[in-house]
Amino acid sequence: MTALVLDGVRKVYPSGDDEIVAVHTADLAVGDDEILALVGPSGSGKTTLLSIAGGLLAPTAGAVRVGSTDISGFNQKQLTGFRASSVGFVFQAVNLVPFLTARENLLVVAEMTGQPKGPARRRADQLLDELGLTHRTKNLPAQLSGGERQRVAIGRALMNEPGLVLFDEPTSALDTSLGEQVMGLIRDEVKGRGTAAVIVTHDTRMTEFADRTVSIIDGYLAA
Amino acid sequence: MLLALREVIRAKARFALLSGAVGLLVFLIVFQQALFGGLITSFIGAVENQDAPILVFNDQARSNVEGSFLLPAQAEAISRVDGVADSRLIGQNTFTVATASAPEDAVLFGYTLGELGEPRTLRDGRLPLGPNEAVASAADADKGFDIGDTIEILGDDGPTVTIVGLGEDLRWSVAPTLFVSYETFEAAQAAVNPDATVVLPSLVAVRPADGVDIDTLTDTIDAQVDGVEALTNAEAVAQNPGVQGVSSSITIILALAFVVVILVVGFFFLILTVQKAKPLTLLRAIGSPSSYLVRNLIVQIAVVMTAGIVIGVGSALLVAAVSPTGDVPIEVEVGSVITTVVALFVLAMIGGAVSIRRVLRIDPIRATADSGRTL
Repeated sequence: MTALVLDGVRKVYPSGDDEIVAVHTADLAVGDDEILALVGPSGSGKTTLLSIAGGLLAPTAGAVRVGSTDISGFNQKQLTGFRASSVGFVFQAVNLVPFLTARENLLVVAEMTGQPKGPARRRADQLLDELGLTHRTKNLPAQLSGGERQRVAIGRALMNEPGLVLFDEPTSALDTSLGEQVMGLIRDEVKGRGTAAVIVTHDTRMTEFADRTVSIIDGYLAA
Repeated sequence: MLLALREVIRAKARFALLSGAVGLLVFLIVFQQALFGGLITSFIGAVENQDAPILVFNDQARSNVEGSFLLPAQAEAISRVDGVADSRLIGQNTFTVATASAPEDAVLFGYTLGELGEPRTLRDGRLPLGPNEAVASAADADKGFDIGDTIEILGDDGPTVTIVGLGEDLRWSVAPTLFVSYETFEAAQAAVNPDATVVLPSLVAVRPADGVDIDTLTDTIDAQVDGVEALTNAEAVAQNPGVQGVSSSITIILALAFVVVILVVGFFFLILTVQKAKPLTLLRAIGSPSSYLVRNLIVQIAVVMTAGIVIGVGSALLVAAVSPTGDVPIEVEVGSVITTVVALFVLAMIGGAVSIRRVLRIDPIRATADSGRTL
């Protein structure tokens, strides 16, 4: 079974009388436990494609299926619920709420979706333990190193037990060594759970951690 | 409410300062209300707390007791209006009186003993039974108007009265006030104006017959008797020129204070919302419904307002309790405080509406676009 299917997905932005095509007709499938690296230069459309896959953006045309759910016709409210329940995100820039501790950054995912507190606490503690952050659970983001913050973000992305985790330039703010550590951790966590992942990166050195690499240039996907 | 309460805990100083500012404003509002309440009562307590349901004025007096007098023919005509069960003369004027300590200005209300126009309730003592007795306001007891004190109305053979009872809030125009028999009032008038051939009443007190609507009866009196204006007790209080002027000023002052509360709360939470735009966008991106973020914002506003109200109302009650009793008593009314608290909560939410609107308009896609420090 596939975790993600993009079928003829196209994204166009109006620009005065013209239009800008961010993603040309794109077809892509990601397997259940596959890690896919999506690489391309800045402005190539990779983040747009990731956003469409995660229900942050609606495509202009085409179909998007995540697991067994076709989200193509979802309204904003449905997309919000879908993102909360079915997808994990790690973004390039802001990933944590600055006034919540590492543990609370994980727990807020459970609270905002109304999950019971007891199981949520146990899962947060388990994730932080797996990520080697047991000693950092009560620290605020400002008290953590860059690598630790990304690890907390990974834990938060896995908190809702998603079938698909989307990473947007997860190592862009880290040096090579730390970036490789984080990518290794992502691979271990994702593979350990049998979860699919799409990792957007412009750093081709990080593609070695993926099962497959797909390039996108000027909105065109190329295998 | 993890998000709301954790932020408050982690930014204690910021929220404490806002709560303190709100508390100060609440203190000002509640304390001013208490002061003004006492001032208004001191202005019109004597009319508000006498038992005549209708008072008839001269229609040229503009609801001013001091400016009103009625002719005998008018008083007689009022008594014959259909629906009037009883009508009695009320005399009012300010006199210089001699107390045990010093001369003082005092207001006399003369009424027919045992009939309309007498104080509704007494705190101590009893109502006058004869022409040489009076009831005073308890607020003036320590100024020589206590039970057993003798008061002489200065003038040409002015009458002397003994205080036999004290009532709550019986002052008029923030002056010591005595409720005496109508005959005593006439004697006092004659003492200060010995050449007058007749003493005219200021007002006529009216009681409607059973089943007669009070508002209908005031209209009927106005229609059937020339040159008079009949007012219910509440109307006579509200339309008193002094009360109207003070009330207008109070309303403006309090309205400004309420507006400041809206602005302070509104600006604070707007700044806070702008400052944390990125984490709020992140939460929207990972699937937080707008309603969750709005609920957290409302909880924070409620926390700030609750703390501010506790500080403000508590301080006002404390200051009112320890303030020395002066000419104007400080009266904290529970009903007024409750109304103020409810209004402040509602207004604070209105003040937070701009922030709520901003939260509702967060576009989660911006989580992928924002760059900057990695959190």
